[in-house]
Amino acid sequence: MRPQLRVVALLAGVAALFLAPLGLAHYGHFILATTMVYALVGLSLNILMGMSGQISIGHAGFWALGAYGSAIAMQSFGVPFILAILVGGAIAGVFGVIVALPALRVQGHYLAIATLAFALVVQQVLFEWESVTGGRQGLSVPRPSLFGVELRTDLSYYYFLLVLFLASAWVTRNLRTSLAGRSLMALKMSPIAAQCAGISRAKNIILAFALSAFFTGLSGALYGSLIGRLSTETFSLTASLSFLTMAVIGGLGSEVGALLGAVFLALAPEMLRELKDAQMVVYGLILVLCMQFLPNGLASLGSLFARFRRAR
Amino acid sequence: MAVTIQLIISGLALGSIYALLALALVIINKATDVVNFAQGEMAMIGTFACLAVLSVVKLPLAVLMLLAFPLGVAFGAVVERLAIRPLVNAPPINALIATIGLFLIFHHLAGWIWGYDPYRFPSLFSPEPVSLLGARVSQNSLGILGVSVGIMAILYLFFERTRLGTAMRAASMNRRAAQLMGVNVGHIAMAAWGLAGGISLIAGILTAPVTFLDFEMMVIVLLKAFAGAILGGFNSLPGAVVGCLVIGVLENLFSAYVSTAFKDAFAFGIIVLVLMFRPAGLFTRVAGKKV
Repeated sequence: MRPQLRVVALLAGVAALFLAPLGLAHYGHFILATTMVYALVGLSLNILMGMSGQISIGHAGFWALGAYGSAIAMQSFGVPFILAILVGGAIAGVFGVIVALPALRVQGHYLAIATLAFALVVQQVLFEWESVTGGRQGLSVPRPSLFGVELRTDLSYYYFLLVLFLASAWVTRNLRTSLAGRSLMALKMSPIAAQCAGISRAKNIILAFALSAFFTGLSGALYGSLIGRLSTETFSLTASLSFLTMAVIGGLGSEVGALLGAVFLALAPEMLRELKDAQMVVYGLILVLCMQFLPNGLASLGSLFARFRRAR
Repeated sequence: MAVTIQLIISGLALGSIYALLALALVIINKATDVVNFAQGEMAMIGTFACLAVLSVVKLPLAVLMLLAFPLGVAFGAVVERLAIRPLVNAPPINALIATIGLFLIFHHLAGWIWGYDPYRFPSLFSPEPVSLLGARVSQNSLGILGVSVGIMAILYLFFERTRLGTAMRAASMNRRAAQLMGVNVGHIAMAAWGLAGGISLIAGILTAPVTFLDFEMMVIVLLKAFAGAILGGFNSLPGAVVGCLVIGVLENLFSAYVSTAFKDAFAFGIIVLVLMFRPAGLFTRVAGKKV
């Protein structure tokens, strides 16, 4: 795509996101807000999997830490909403560093297992630690408010989330072209060559994990305020795997991919409602088929199409 | 003391089930460099299939187990051919993601077909306890241990004495050299997935009478198998077995003497500790990497 066309497409896309709620009823606004919450997780997996080539099947753990962290900060300590979501993100980010430590010494598969174990431990601790998290009772979360103004409707909350998403997308976009992002991608392609060129594997992977966990925690905090009630069941292995499916089907290489994946994850339960629990079978099929036929996700369809046209 | 012995023996039985699944994981990992997240679910859905067979034909359980093995082998081989083989030249993370997809497919397919309630699965062994070293030990534990040890012995002979076994070892040591010596590594990968499918189905059939059969049955077993395999070293078959036995026993003692609620968290704690301090596992040496 030519650069001018790219700018036009970007502006059109952003305008479409701002106009999206028009003509939708209350439930539509809720779905849109959910999409934005998921899209933040998509961005975070973009950093982790797309840039650094590490895999996580425990992102529900970071999501939970963000959600509970910010809810408890608001409930018990009276922290204002805007600070509380940052607290949630920061807590998740700190745990991201802790989970990344074993990743420094091992590659690929082990890390996946470690993140899985981490998420299960988080879920179990949240469930058992009743005095703080409410255990099986769950925890209620106040509505979001900005500087004393309560965002009472999902529509107003959607616009807040949209701005936050655009800002985060801008951050990850810049990260991709910054020294840190390029170092990560070099490490992904050839750890040995990259380290020979003076790139610190430890520093960069910790950074990727911390950032990824931070954005996921932020998303968890925002999710809590959207739903109004937290229960440990939400943060299960299924959630982690749904996130993975979302990231893969959207495409790991771009911000557009994160958004497309989030749209999928928000709409899939609506479209697959007939299937009830078997909709996870569809997620599984998507993962298997995407790996074979569309490894770069929906976001790569455009360039695939362009290449096809050029070939003809 | 008697109680401790009892806990140790039932822990060993538990650990030997983890070990069977861990063997399946390690065999696949050595042959194809993939950690198969769907291994437990393949075992679970295979066990459901066996139960379906049992409800039609009243086979003796020993016969069922003998029939289950080739069934599991065929299942594993088909999965490899359809989902893993096409990804052989893609980045390794893609195959990993595909196995996670398989996990979701089998896990929820079982729930969809057979519902979410646990089923009773008949046991080969009577639950009557017998006296051993002054402790009362259930025959079921001893039976599970016996079957597992038998399978491990056969597996040992297979890898040491047969042509296919030797070829599999060669391919896992140096794929290229094995290829040059005329080993078809594509067949090896399929054989490994098949072998793993057979072994893990036996693990499923041994687990089902203890925990009841439902679609969640193998998730936690898989994680314990991961923990054991990591503890012993993911590239060593005997290491993985020892690691799993250690996990089984420690976990039993932990839940009896420390905390039942955090019994599962304990095993995961071990994963993280091992990865932090000795990522190659307790029993394998770290191989230097040539550039």
